[in-house]
Amino acid sequence: MNNRINRLQHVARAICTILVFQVFGLAAQGIWEGGDPANGQSLFNANCAACHKITDEILVGPGLAGIQDRWPSGDEMLVMWIQSPQEAAETGDKYIKSIVERYVGTYGWMTGQAVSEADISDILAYVTSPPIDGGGDTASSDNCPTIDYNTPEESDSSNAMWFLILLILFTVIALSAAGVKRSLTDVIAEKSGEDLLPDTGYLTRLGGWAWNNLVMVSLIGIFFVLYGVVVGYSALMDIGTYSNYSPEQPIAFNHSIHVCENEIDCKYCHNSAYDSKHAGIPSANVCMNCHKAIKKGKRTGTEEIEKIYAAIGFDATTGTYLDGDGNNGKALPQDSYNGEPIKWNKVHNLPDHVFFSHQQHVNVGGLQCQNCHGDVSTYSVGRIAPVEEINTLIDAYPGIIQLSKPTLTMGWCIECHNKAEIDLASSGYYEEMHDRLMNSERGNEELRRYLEDEKITVRELGGWECSKCHY
Amino acid sequence: MANNKKYWSGLDELDGTEAFKEIQAKEFQEQIPVDQFLADERHSSTTTGRRDFLKFMGFSLTAATLAACETPVIKSIPYTNKPAEITPGVANYYASTYYDGMDYSNVLVKTREGRPIFIKGNSATGIGAGKVNSRVIGSVMSLYDKARLDGPTQNGNSTTWEDLDKAMSAAVSGAGRTVVLSNTIVSPSTVKAIKALGAEHVQYDAISYSALRVAQSEAFGVNAVPSYDFSKAEVIVSIAADFLNSWLSSTLYAPDYALLRGPERGKQSKHFQFESAMSMTGTNADVRTMIKPSEEGKVAAGLLAALKGATVSNLDAGVVKSINAAAKSLNSSKGKSLVVAGSNDLATQTIVAAINQQLGNYGSTIDLERPSMAYRGDDASVSDLVKDMNSGKISTLITYGCNPSYDLPNAAAFNTGLAKVKTSVCMNGVADETAKRSTFVAPDHHYLESWNDLSLSSGRIDLVQPTIEPIFNTRAAQESFLNWSSSENSDWYTFLRRQYNASYTSDAMYSDSGWNSAIHDGTMVGNDLPESPEYTSSIDTTQAERKVASVKGGAFELVTYVKATAGSGNHAANPILQETPDPVSKVTWDNYVTMSKSDMDAMGLNTYIAQEDLGSVVKVTVNGKSVELPAFMQPGQKPGTIGIALGYGRGAGGEKIGQAAFQTGEKGEHITQASGLPMPIGANAYPLTSTSDGNTIYAHYDVSIEATGREYPLACTQIHNTYMGRESVVKETSFDSYLSEAGKAKGEASWNKAHRLNVHEDTNHDGVIDARDKKNTNAFDLWHSHPVEEVGHRWGMTIDLTTCTGCSACVTACNIENNVSVVGKDEVLRHRDMHWIRIDRYYASDFSLEKGEEEGVGVIDSYGRMEDPSENPQTVHMPMMCQHCNHAPCETVCPVAATTHSNEGLNQMTYNRCIGTRYCANNCPYKVRRFNWFNYKGYKKFEHVNPAHDSLARLVLNPDVTVRARGVMEKCSMCVQRIQSGKLYAKKAGTPILDGQVKTACAESCPSNAIKFGDLNDNGSEVKTISENNRAYHALEEIGVKPNVFYMTKVRNS
Repeated sequence: MNNRINRLQHVARAICTILVFQVFGLAAQGIWEGGDPANGQSLFNANCAACHKITDEILVGPGLAGIQDRWPSGDEMLVMWIQSPQEAAETGDKYIKSIVERYVGTYGWMTGQAVSEADISDILAYVTSPPIDGGGDTASSDNCPTIDYNTPEESDSSNAMWFLILLILFTVIALSAAGVKRSLTDVIAEKSGEDLLPDTGYLTRLGGWAWNNLVMVSLIGIFFVLYGVVVGYSALMDIGTYSNYSPEQPIAFNHSIHVCENEIDCKYCHNSAYDSKHAGIPSANVCMNCHKAIKKGKRTGTEEIEKIYAAIGFDATTGTYLDGDGNNGKALPQDSYNGEPIKWNKVHNLPDHVFFSHQQHVNVGGLQCQNCHGDVSTYSVGRIAPVEEINTLIDAYPGIIQLSKPTLTMGWCIECHNKAEIDLASSGYYEEMHDRLMNSERGNEELRRYLEDEKITVRELGGWECSKCHY
Repeated sequence: MANNKKYWSGLDELDGTEAFKEIQAKEFQEQIPVDQFLADERHSSTTTGRRDFLKFMGFSLTAATLAACETPVIKSIPYTNKPAEITPGVANYYASTYYDGMDYSNVLVKTREGRPIFIKGNSATGIGAGKVNSRVIGSVMSLYDKARLDGPTQNGNSTTWEDLDKAMSAAVSGAGRTVVLSNTIVSPSTVKAIKALGAEHVQYDAISYSALRVAQSEAFGVNAVPSYDFSKAEVIVSIAADFLNSWLSSTLYAPDYALLRGPERGKQSKHFQFESAMSMTGTNADVRTMIKPSEEGKVAAGLLAALKGATVSNLDAGVVKSINAAAKSLNSSKGKSLVVAGSNDLATQTIVAAINQQLGNYGSTIDLERPSMAYRGDDASVSDLVKDMNSGKISTLITYGCNPSYDLPNAAAFNTGLAKVKTSVCMNGVADETAKRSTFVAPDHHYLESWNDLSLSSGRIDLVQPTIEPIFNTRAAQESFLNWSSSENSDWYTFLRRQYNASYTSDAMYSDSGWNSAIHDGTMVGNDLPESPEYTSSIDTTQAERKVASVKGGAFELVTYVKATAGSGNHAANPILQETPDPVSKVTWDNYVTMSKSDMDAMGLNTYIAQEDLGSVVKVTVNGKSVELPAFMQPGQKPGTIGIALGYGRGAGGEKIGQAAFQTGEKGEHITQASGLPMPIGANAYPLTSTSDGNTIYAHYDVSIEATGREYPLACTQIHNTYMGRESVVKETSFDSYLSEAGKAKGEASWNKAHRLNVHEDTNHDGVIDARDKKNTNAFDLWHSHPVEEVGHRWGMTIDLTTCTGCSACVTACNIENNVSVVGKDEVLRHRDMHWIRIDRYYASDFSLEKGEEEGVGVIDSYGRMEDPSENPQTVHMPMMCQHCNHAPCETVCPVAATTHSNEGLNQMTYNRCIGTRYCANNCPYKVRRFNWFNYKGYKKFEHVNPAHDSLARLVLNPDVTVRARGVMEKCSMCVQRIQSGKLYAKKAGTPILDGQVKTACAESCPSNAIKFGDLNDNGSEVKTISENNRAYHALEEIGVKPNVFYMTKVRNS
């Protein structure tokens, strides 16, 4: 309802503006009129959006909604204020002074913007009458399907449990039925004066039956043994493989929204993948780079984002950080704030005796993240992508190495090391290794052996050796 | 030569003793204590029946199986506000400085995710390329000691800093004398902070060198210990000065000393040592002469006389011969020599000053213009202070950086005096001997948590910076001084910054580029205020000579000395240092009396010490004070003298100084004294020291020693003493012999002949196949060789036996870098120490096969006699670690391929494959493989000794190295984690690996650069050059395992 009224107001204002133009003619055209809202939007996003919103919400600077009604100091002053804030403040303008007092203490001076008067006019056109559809949210959510792997599946184990219960029930019924039958037989025998059946146990009788049906029993036996071997083998092979593992996380973080819809690069958040063995889980201050502005999520509203704020000590209403004593008003996260850190559940667990380095694979090897982690943009929580799924990504991500062993097992690692090629011309380090191969007899021999399959793989340069990963 | 050598496991096998035959016939060497187990009352009185037991077993097995099916959820907790300089998984290094009143080192502190895990020398900007020793490397452990105090205490109960400050401000400004007692403070700002208190300041050193200082003052007018430059000293004469280990700032001397030891420059420095006990420096001497401590002054006087051409009397002929030889050498290199004495006797030091002056060493190798700021302790003032305390003249005593209740010669008097002081406050970080007796304890930060500035000599300021937030509720001592002072009101950090920028305010915290670069380097240029010594003044030595001549010796004389690991006593609770074997005796975890074999035989004491052969405890009495310690047979100990190390017996009053400071028994429990308190390790020898002319004297010329009849186990890592002529292990030669064949190719010189084997082939083309047809060992190959040479990397190491001093810094560094388990005394006793690198110390024997032939002794008997070291043996230190053989015998016997060869020449050990058969250890000719007999990080036996037991000390573990589990084999990996990260660094930079870019922990920590590491396939690398030097050889070359470790023949200038 409100929205509609707002829009009507905008339309009305636009009509008024047009009327004003009509009346006064072009001579009186100021910065408030005649701007191009489309150009204004792109200029706004490029220059202003880091600190200002077009609503009345305070980000770093004040929200710009209603600026046309509250700016008292004339067009020239506004242009000066935008282009060179400190200069404008020196003029002693009262309104500017009030803004300076309110914001500069916390956030520092606004940076002077290199925009012309015409640009400002465009921006104001956008700010005062933003596009009706609200903008921004147009990124098609349809192209970014979110597969929530976190919904608890109906597991096989519960079915098995029912089977077991039924089996026990049937056994009990069968046994009691047999008991009843036997008692009845005994009663009949007693009545007819015959001898009672010898009091044999179930096992003896079962043994007797089995003795009489040896072939049948052998076949059943062989079947069970084979079945046991097959099931046992596959169960054992599953030990230590965690395909599809996607534990619930303390924050309902959605990769799809961030990666697919908002097109954030993996390494923006997992930035240490480039310089460390750990890809790293982003610290809360990295989240805050965006979430200082984005206070409300599309799906979960403020609930999940509030958890980040609680951890780092951010007061969403004032847009400032809290210090250890609970006072807000700080522009940067405070070390003194003693927030409870976010305890994520680790998804990709390697045993302690495995040394894996992201920087070796990402930075030196140039592998794509998808090669090991699958297409994270399609699902919500972090998860171990099954190798079959990763293999299907070859079209979207050419260069992905096709593998067959379960993800994150040693078989998978060394399979890749056997397939992945090294370009010896790629760096000075490998050039030196190449020279050593070229410059000695033994080296030549080795190189010939390497090149039997016409490529040099990681394995051939030692990628299968124990102490490359275990030390 | 080669085929008449015979090897055996020990003397027992050689002699074929009954005991050995008995042991040989048994599968288990020790009786399995079945009877003992069954006789235990507790087992028969148990109420658990057999069937119940089986049920419990079955249930536990099922429960364990089921529990194992569940994958544990592992939490991963990122920073909330990540500091920009920290990347998880990447180490940061901070330049800092170590100073504890004794050792001084410019260090780099390696931190991971904000916790310091390794200390190494600051080679870029440190004094003398920033070298470290065992004690400095091990100091990181004390940061994580859970015995450290968490907040201030009053009379043993915790209090608040506010209450403490109130009480102390009142005490300091109140009536009566306030005295600050500290070790020598070399920090200019700390001195100012103490001055701000307006109190008297008395300094003393646990190991005092006051006589040396006073001698300089009397002779040259500079009241300071000089700076010594060993890098110019071609001839060194040391009279009982252990300058490679503990004498003055030994961390600075050892690297300089090593510079002149390598014979390749055509010259080699000559080192004479006169001493009573075998010191680490003594083991490195070219000429070592045994004297009694009462003769130290006479030797100095004799040397002075000999330099002037006079004849020397009143000493043994052997000593006189050495003195004359030393005088000859000294005279031939005037101004390029050094004479140093360890004695704290003023007369001796005066004569030594005169000798150095006569040789023109002042101004050349000895610098008094920029003397050392360390060791300014004044023994006389401390004695006065103790008297004043006892007469009630002191109302407030602040002790800082020292432990006088433990290490003063008159500690007992100090303690009674301390009880009479109205307000006493101690600033030590743990509740040690002094802290326990003080009213207040105001715990200081650990040095890795503090800011400080240090100046060892004029013109240079070194900085100490925090590398971790304070772990406990401690406060910098300087902060306390400033708080208690009425004239200062700034905090310590501001105070410190204002010393270098008077207008500093906290706004300029990060903007001072001068300060920032000083913090980066750990050092800056300070005020240069040179002293003006009068080097030419004449020194009158007549009185001093008369005095030293009058010294009378007794039947037994005592020297006290400082060990490479325990230091002056402040490292007592450091398990890694306690388990690092002493460089000379190879004893761990203990203190003992060193004695000569002849004295021990005369007293009927056990000279052979092993697991089952205990040491005999003797009682040493000095002036009515006595200590009881086991006797240890030390070759090179002058008969009639005994040696006892200082720095032991800490925590004798049950002080909570850390749980590794106390003796542990067979089950790892603390052994208790009769009083129920835990038993300290060793005995405190400080009470045996005395004061003469106001200087603390560390020797005593008449002590009585008696056997007690008790026995005590000593855990030595090495019992065998000599290498019994096995020249393929250790190769050594004299400098003259080296020079005569210096130009020969590798394998040709007589002192490093390549090993040759007979072949059935006419190799010398004389037409017949006979014993003269030989080939070098490397011509034989049992297996196909690995593609290591010339392909890819070939990591290798070279170790120069000439410059290796045996200091064991490499051992300590390796232990910390590679998370090597500390196993405790009982396990070391069973030879289950886990050290990846050990330093084999071999003594020379007087006997040889040739000598045996001459004397008509049979070959077998000759070997037997070669097992005995000489009375005053020459010594070789040989670092031994996995040799990474290219034909490794261990690899071929592993049934599960857990140990394999990499094409970079590394012998890889894969813990997760190992099933613990120990075949590899049996097959290793170098005996460097270590088996994890226990879960050292969890089993109760190790809770007092292994730091990994408590969650705090576990923070020191290197996250890049697996902590090994029980049942697996481990050994030197050549720091493969460093190799891998070095390669990764080069790959990222897109450049080949530069020589020296990757260093193992041992090579990095070696103060004398004896150990070098690099790529043998890199033709420009240092190790490649050295491996082709004619001194280079492989240990046990004849077995043809082709190691990647090269040793360099030891050259002795004798």
